[in-house]
Amino acid sequence: MSLRYIAPPENHWTANLTGTALAARSIAVLGSAAVMLGVTDCTPESSRAGARPFVAAITTDPGHLNSAITTNGSVHTVAGLLYNGLVALDDKLKPLPELAVRWEVEDSGSLYRFHLRRDVRWHDGRKFTSADVKFTFDELLLNFHSRSRASLRAKLLRVDAPNDSTVEFRFRRPYAPLLQQLDVEEAPIMPKHVFAGTDPLRNPANIAPVGTGPFRFVSYRSGAEIRYAANADYFLGPPQISEIVLRIIPDPGTQVIALEAGEVDWLFGVPGPERARLRRDPRFRVMQTPGYSGGSNCITTIGFNLDRPMARDIRFRRGIAHAVNRHQFLERVLFGEGRVADAPISSGIEFAHASGLPMARFDTAAAGRLLHAAGWRRKGSSMRTANGVPGVADGTPLTVRFTVMPSQANYGDLLRAQLRAVGIDLRVEGLEPAIFSQTVFTVRDFDMAIVAYCNGTDPEIGVRRQYMSSSIGPVPFSNTAAYRNSVVDSLFDSAASALDVSRRRRLYREIQEIAVRDQPYIWLVETLNTRAFHSRCSGFGISPHFAATARCSR
Amino acid sequence: MQWLRHLSAFCRDREVQPVSGQFVLRRLVQVIPTMIGVVLIAFLLIHLAPGDPVVALAGEHGDAEYYAFMRERFGLDRPLPQQLATYFARVATGDLGVSYVHGRSTLGVIMERVPATLLLTGTALMLAVLISVPLGAIAARSPGRVRDLGINSVALFLYSAPVFWVGQIAILFLAFQLDLFPVQGMTSAGSATKGLARMFDIMRHLALPALVLASQELAVLVRLTRSGLIDELARDHVRTARAKGVGELLVIARHAMPRALMPAITVIGARTGQLIAGAAVVEIVFGWPGIGRLLVTSLQARDTPVLLGLFTMISFAVVVANFVTDLVHAAIDPRIRLG
Repeated sequence: MSLRYIAPPENHWTANLTGTALAARSIAVLGSAAVMLGVTDCTPESSRAGARPFVAAITTDPGHLNSAITTNGSVHTVAGLLYNGLVALDDKLKPLPELAVRWEVEDSGSLYRFHLRRDVRWHDGRKFTSADVKFTFDELLLNFHSRSRASLRAKLLRVDAPNDSTVEFRFRRPYAPLLQQLDVEEAPIMPKHVFAGTDPLRNPANIAPVGTGPFRFVSYRSGAEIRYAANADYFLGPPQISEIVLRIIPDPGTQVIALEAGEVDWLFGVPGPERARLRRDPRFRVMQTPGYSGGSNCITTIGFNLDRPMARDIRFRRGIAHAVNRHQFLERVLFGEGRVADAPISSGIEFAHASGLPMARFDTAAAGRLLHAAGWRRKGSSMRTANGVPGVADGTPLTVRFTVMPSQANYGDLLRAQLRAVGIDLRVEGLEPAIFSQTVFTVRDFDMAIVAYCNGTDPEIGVRRQYMSSSIGPVPFSNTAAYRNSVVDSLFDSAASALDVSRRRRLYREIQEIAVRDQPYIWLVETLNTRAFHSRCSGFGISPHFAATARCSR
Repeated sequence: MQWLRHLSAFCRDREVQPVSGQFVLRRLVQVIPTMIGVVLIAFLLIHLAPGDPVVALAGEHGDAEYYAFMRERFGLDRPLPQQLATYFARVATGDLGVSYVHGRSTLGVIMERVPATLLLTGTALMLAVLISVPLGAIAARSPGRVRDLGINSVALFLYSAPVFWVGQIAILFLAFQLDLFPVQGMTSAGSATKGLARMFDIMRHLALPALVLASQELAVLVRLTRSGLIDELARDHVRTARAKGVGELLVIARHAMPRALMPAITVIGARTGQLIAGAAVVEIVFGWPGIGRLLVTSLQARDTPVLLGLFTMISFAVVVANFVTDLVHAAIDPRIRLG
């Protein structure tokens, strides 16, 4: 309406319009926008016709669908269905054939030779060959996939493709965990004919991908949804679900309501308070998985900053460990979704997980004795103060800065209450992820911090970085505590090159015994992830190919 | 909508003058340095804020060499003045760079989302105006009475209630319990629609988020319309019109309402930025694929090119809205036009 005053009426689009006409024109403009949105949608009609598609809710727009150039969880959540790895991993992390039908390990673990399937075709009809595998590693994974680059690049001598159906990985020295790093999560294979000679970060195929996986790409509407259709030529048999729509619904509360309203069929995660309700509702089913896209087998861990004088005393660290009731974290923060951590390595990596370790038990009396012995004295129920603590002036109150990310603020609130009981004033400092990373790992300005260490499928992937003295420095989510132990360093190196599983088990047990004794961290809880889905559907897996084996009734 | 016709008559009666080209040029000259300043400040704020885009992008498993490699790829290893000069040179040619997250043109990424936000905010604004003006008039006709108190209370409630909460309540009751609207999204997931059917599908999804977004604007506009109209109804020309026997509806529509709406029009122009900020929350709650949500996710991911592009575009929209408001004021008030 204000436009009427800008220019002489006879020249303006509102000239001589009645109010009704102006309103009608406004509606028409907005309608045009709606039509424009409708017209610009490029989803093929064939993909929409027929049965209702299977609808899964995702929280974030991934931005692209190339999971070989990033470890970003939002990309891996949606892109896993499009690709394959050389192997698949079962729920015990045992490698199974996928693009590779069989393999040999030679030269004491320095040479891995994979024999590839000959019946695999890319979604565009081209034949899959060993050249695609070599290209994917040489040009994509070893450059842009941070986990593959960090763990393999320095160790891998070269990747060879002696013929179309054979690929060889030759390492500088024996390397044990390769088979756990070749599934679709860690090493999705990309088509050479699409990416060769291009900038992989800007290739148009990143948002219109070509894979070999159980589903093929149909459309991508930025911020709204991604559509896949079943790959009828899938080498492991076509999926029964004919169409998948991944709807971007940022708010977890709205996701649950959309599930209950029948607008979506699958949730990748459920907020804690809603889980019990969905479990009781016969319309839905829930399943738990240790896997998160971008990481699996995660342990929520408190790290001490060993650069701080007070944290250098093992009695201080052990005292705090005794003051922590880890069962409360499981019940009150995770709503029972997970398990109390009983070792530094996740129980999800069975061969490396040690049992029966002398972890600090919840015992406030023991906590008080240890803190007292460390020089932190308490009168009555007051907060503790320093009395003879090296590097700390006498009378200094025991105030600990606990740095957390907003998603872990609940851990901070509970820990504050638990430590208050033993006379420690915990100041919880919530920092947005990027700032958290900078504060903790670059500036190292914290007393204690909480980090979810995802151990992955092998300790080499997600555990090593937490303890190696070479991992201290401005690298995010590395050695939070700045823990230095040359024995632990050499044990990790030995374990990485030991091909014999029982020998690796012994080495990792030794590492965990030392870590528990030195207590640079408090291992709180192993987290799980809850998927919820409509009970008309069944047959889901826990891998990134979760929907490949599923079916839904009408 | 009768009052719009009278508004037009009011313009003629009041001899509203077209704004001179010199005035427009003067204001335009002021817009250019404002925009340069906005881009400069936004660039410095984003680059000097803590948080590394490479870390946000690469995740937690990289090593030092990897982060250095990615920084070089994105040109983040260069000195800040050099990055700034490069950015200004690009912006001058209409190139907003390449998104770190999306790996394609920032302008393209933003423009994909603009229609959705325009549709949402435009509809919300239209609904707010269409509802608030009659409600403001009803309240002004009987100040202090039950109707006035009722309308004022509702307006105050909507203004003070967080839009996030209003959105959740609206979803729970209107979409989930009563099944009047879809819960989320801009289209139905399984709809085989094109053309008009698709347009209606979008409008069905649009109704609830637009109403929620409109609720806050509505609250402001009702109160402004009410107070403006109360003032106008007490003026001499209104008393004269009544004395001449003009009907009450015509008195309000033709003699009081146009001037009473001036503060509301000014506020609408000035609230462009707030409307987009409010749209971000509504877009998150309703899963609406607009630029507000893109702004939030880009901030979390430290996608600097998209953030800068959005700041620039939103700032430009605010500057243009203020420019238009200036022109409106100048058209109405000769002191501004000639001063």
